[in-house]
Amino acid sequence: MIVKYCFASVTSLAIFMLVGCSSTVTMEMPTIPEPRIEKIPVNVAVRIPAQFQDFVHSEEVLGKDTWTIHLGSSNAAFFTQLFGFMFENVTILGPDDDARDYQFDALVEPSIEGFEFSVPSQSQTNAFAVWIRYRIAVFDSIGNSASSWTVSAYGKSQKEGLGGSDSLRRAAILAMRDAAALIIMQMDKVTDIRKLADGPLEPADDEPGAVNADASPGVENNEPDSVIGVFAIGGIDDAAE
Amino acid sequence: MQLNNALLGILTICLTGCVTSRIEDNRAQGTGIEDGESVVVMAKSYHQGNETEADYIACVERALGKGSDAVRVIPNQEFVDNLFPWFEPRTAPADTKGLPGLMGRPGVEAAVREMGVRYIVWLDGDTERVAEGGSLSCAAGPGGGGCFGFAWWQNDSDYEATVWDLDVHEHAGTISADVTGTSFLPAIVVPIPLIARPQAKACKGLATQLRAFIVQ
Repeated sequence: MIVKYCFASVTSLAIFMLVGCSSTVTMEMPTIPEPRIEKIPVNVAVRIPAQFQDFVHSEEVLGKDTWTIHLGSSNAAFFTQLFGFMFENVTILGPDDDARDYQFDALVEPSIEGFEFSVPSQSQTNAFAVWIRYRIAVFDSIGNSASSWTVSAYGKSQKEGLGGSDSLRRAAILAMRDAAALIIMQMDKVTDIRKLADGPLEPADDEPGAVNADASPGVENNEPDSVIGVFAIGGIDDAAE
Repeated sequence: MQLNNALLGILTICLTGCVTSRIEDNRAQGTGIEDGESVVVMAKSYHQGNETEADYIACVERALGKGSDAVRVIPNQEFVDNLFPWFEPRTAPADTKGLPGLMGRPGVEAAVREMGVRYIVWLDGDTERVAEGGSLSCAAGPGGGGCFGFAWWQNDSDYEATVWDLDVHEHAGTISADVTGTSFLPAIVVPIPLIARPQAKACKGLATQLRAFIVQ
């Protein structure tokens, strides 16, 4: 009987120690406030990729803790809400939907290219930080690639409480909100999506990046000439508008 | 009763570490606040390396809204959400030159007027441990336990508040608070903590000066 109790205690302690070395953060559905902007008069279809349905990122920190962040379908909800605020008409397409079955001026396909985070033991600060790199691919109504834009977003939250899960979650939400701010401010300027309301792009012989909208972005052989990365900080560049 | 109060006072003084503080203001233009006008307290962007703690901002907000000359404070998250995306860490104007352009954006000036925000206070700075020393060891056994030794540490709270007047789109002035606190922990069997709280002192001092600066 005593042996049984000892075994149970040792097992419980081992489980406790194993659990103590890993942290899991689950994202709730993020919401962004309605932006104070004028909607872009374009009829847009947004294809939500399969990776947005259940995105999980896991990292081992300095050989000690393992942090896992479950974004779940929060990115799908986030982009659905964001583009709903930005464009006059938005149709949401699932990963298996065929874009040719729908009418639109532009097809927008967001994806996650990179996700990283740092915890206080790595950065030697009291803050959790999250970096998300999204790629926003824009196609015209017949599937020509119009633009491919990299959006680098950053969120930082100071450590509160003992575990830090809430702080990491908040840093991730702030990074998504940062991406939203950048996309709202720059998307029209960078991708010229407004022009697609006038019709599809003129075919160009020297455009190697013209790919069918149904093609997976991962198998594109050539980047279109409008691959752009923007990382702007500190106010609004009126002169550039 | 009086003896008890006196003892309590002496104990409180004894259990507090040493704090030195300097609060200064630098006025660029006249201020004043009318009924119905309010203030919003924001942290400068972390994109630019600012580390101002959320609890410090909350403390300044609370302190501004207290007392006989209290000013109305709009919670910063409410302000930022209401003006999304123009006051996000990435997009907030870095100086007052951007204010006229920002106010011209659809719905921005109307939202600011609706909330009655007259001043934006930008907070910059943080509290850091700048020195520490000493040693303290504790032991416990079947007959009891105890600690012996002496430890100390020094925290420096350095904050600056920059005030923008949204009526005239101008910089109104800055207020700075530099507070240093040294805490001690002597232990002869029982540790006696003498804790200095420079951040709390910097919050109270800066908020008092800020209120006087705005109300004038």
